[in-house]
Amino acid sequence: MSHPNANFLVPLCQLPAGGVGQVRKLSGDAAFCQRVREMGFGESAFVTKVSGNGTILCQVAGTRIALSHDAANNIIVEHIARR
Amino acid sequence: MSLPPHISAKPAFSTSRLPTYALVGNPNCGKSTLFNALTGLKQKVGNYPGVTVEKKIGTTFSQHGQPITIIDLPGAYSLAARSPDEAVTRDVLLGRRGDTPQPDRILCIVDATNLERNLYLVHQILDLGRPVIVVLNMMDLVAEAGLEIRASRLEQALGVPVIPCEAVAGRGLVELRVAMSRHDLPLSRHAWDVPGPIAPAVADLQASLTLNDGKSPLSARAEALLLLTDLDSLRVAGSTPLSPRTNEILRTWQTRWEGQGTDWSAALVNSRYDAIGRIAADVVVHVGETGPTVSDKIDAVVTHPIWGWLVLGVVMTLLLVSIFTLAEGPMNWIDDRAALLAELVKSAMSAGDLRNLLTDGAVAGVGGVVKFLPQILILFFFIGLLESTGYMARAAFIMDRLMSRVGLNGKSFIPLLSSYACAIPGIMATRTIEDPKDRLVTILVAPLMSCSARLPVYLLMIAALMPGESVSLGAKVGLMLLMYALGTFGAFGFAWLFKRTLLKGTPPLMIMELPPYRLPKVRDVLLQMFERAWIFLRRAGTVILGISIILWFLSAYPKASGHVTPADQLAQSFAGRAGHLLEPVIKPLGFDWQIGIGLISSFAAREVFVSTMGVVFNAESDKENTAPLRTAMLAAKWPDGRALFTPLVCLTLMIFYVFAMQCMSTIAVVKRETNGWKWPIFQTLYMTGTAWILSFIVFQAGRALGF
Repeated sequence: MSHPNANFLVPLCQLPAGGVGQVRKLSGDAAFCQRVREMGFGESAFVTKVSGNGTILCQVAGTRIALSHDAANNIIVEHIARR
Repeated sequence: MSLPPHISAKPAFSTSRLPTYALVGNPNCGKSTLFNALTGLKQKVGNYPGVTVEKKIGTTFSQHGQPITIIDLPGAYSLAARSPDEAVTRDVLLGRRGDTPQPDRILCIVDATNLERNLYLVHQILDLGRPVIVVLNMMDLVAEAGLEIRASRLEQALGVPVIPCEAVAGRGLVELRVAMSRHDLPLSRHAWDVPGPIAPAVADLQASLTLNDGKSPLSARAEALLLLTDLDSLRVAGSTPLSPRTNEILRTWQTRWEGQGTDWSAALVNSRYDAIGRIAADVVVHVGETGPTVSDKIDAVVTHPIWGWLVLGVVMTLLLVSIFTLAEGPMNWIDDRAALLAELVKSAMSAGDLRNLLTDGAVAGVGGVVKFLPQILILFFFIGLLESTGYMARAAFIMDRLMSRVGLNGKSFIPLLSSYACAIPGIMATRTIEDPKDRLVTILVAPLMSCSARLPVYLLMIAALMPGESVSLGAKVGLMLLMYALGTFGAFGFAWLFKRTLLKGTPPLMIMELPPYRLPKVRDVLLQMFERAWIFLRRAGTVILGISIILWFLSAYPKASGHVTPADQLAQSFAGRAGHLLEPVIKPLGFDWQIGIGLISSFAAREVFVSTMGVVFNAESDKENTAPLRTAMLAAKWPDGRALFTPLVCLTLMIFYVFAMQCMSTIAVVKRETNGWKWPIFQTLYMTGTAWILSFIVFQAGRALGF
């Protein structure tokens, strides 16, 4: 891929503000994975990070969702593009 | 297909008996607005036995005027429950609760601007095999979001009626009523593929649920699918357990999959989302790019790292200032009325114990609690307003970083803030916290936030500590703020401690939706405010009445013989004797038996300390004017002639009140919310223990330093 950031897997908390990522992997315990999947963070979902370093704010499937740092750290995304 | 017993006997939907509807939907989809719009004031609010989840039942009317019962179930993202609220929703829909009959039909509310995520719950509900009506709410916001929803396509895809509606403006309600009045509602035709490796397990479980748990085949399939994703199987009181055979099958399959490395729950959730994605692609049309929405623009400021704090600070200040200023008038009014009522009883009855019981016990005690109602109403009004505009979630978002330092998440912020007014509504507000440990920690530390009942005690002590008008107002205010700060730091400190020791858990993983901003609907806010206030009055009122009568008895008996002053009577009553008994324990803190009486009697409510001191030291006094009591207290001496209320003792007493659990109503509420005596007892011991130790350190250190 030509895009310099393509295939870079980062936890959602490290995605730059405004960046778009595609969910690749969920870590953490089963109950957590289940809940975030049900909230729309399933594998292959697109997430836009809005802002935040500690507690982060992101947009997924048309909803704005706040995630604590540890929660965002468990969502591994592939950095797709910068809007 | 065998029907559940409550609809089996006669043709279910004859003209005389209309079906019961359950109202379900994601949080923030406008469910309560729709419930209020459909039922008006015809609502009954109660509790599901054994769980602290509100049970709301209302009545609406079909197009021909027949009553239809609606059960408003708590908001849920999924039937795989993660909080007691969601567990109740799941259990009612599956007919697992003995106290609530399984609803005949389901009204599923969907936020049209956020169709994909909302359809997840709808998708699970369609599997239940009950007639479903989908309500597409918030159609007014769809265009603004740059979307177009083809409702008829959704109806085609799901095979159930889909009613577009704007609950806030009352649009679409007529169509909804017509649909609800239909005698023949179709079952969903929607089919989706259960992933290959999991399908045989679903069949196995379905068969066992039908055979061993008495479920109808359709709902057995839904429950089988749910069992596979409902990982921690959150069970709440009143929920019927599974049969052992079904449990065994479930375990066998899970062990097999674990061995093969199959992530069955992920496969199930993802295949549901795949099916939903296909529907959404057909139903939702993106009408070009839109710029940032109004919500985006507000959020840019409100969730900003600097401006966000500023906004939160302003909102909190406004909230606290209005609680303390707006409530003052009504509180005095209630005080006056209580006094008037006591006078009335006094003039209507002849002197005697019964009269004293009514005036000093019942009227004074209950009046003392009802007095806090204005503050609680204002607090609930503001909380309702903040919730319905969508700001509450932002406040929790901003506070999350700070709260996570002590191991709590942003959702604990509102209960703690509310506790500045009164710990009771604060503890009731912890119900929204999903994690049971986080919730318990929040309940345990909430009463450390200085509530308004401590205010009169602080005021009296500051007046005694800094007598004379020469002391600047700044010093008095500073000391007051110090007490508030002590309580707040204490709360955070203990939260930190509990999360590390007693209630050790994984770091809180907060996932919270920030709903789009909306103009609040005042009627809904008021309705909610009165509901919560009523719960407060009923719960705290009954307990306080009982306690007040007991405390009155303790201070009125045994009777002193002959003609004695009220102070003498109190001194030789049970309470006075208890004060003497208590003296050895509190002497190291610089308190004597007379203060001991105050400590005991203020167990009913902290501000009772002031009135007790008034009786003990024979001084007429009220909250506005503590001067006579102050003078009397400053004249009080130990038997050896030392002054009792030295500045150091006053300071120690204030510190004691910051930490001590001096409130029966709080204990009663904690008992209710934690379903037992274990935690309220622990809470009382740790708080009062801390109060004693800190007071001891302050008093002894102060004395050693020569104060």
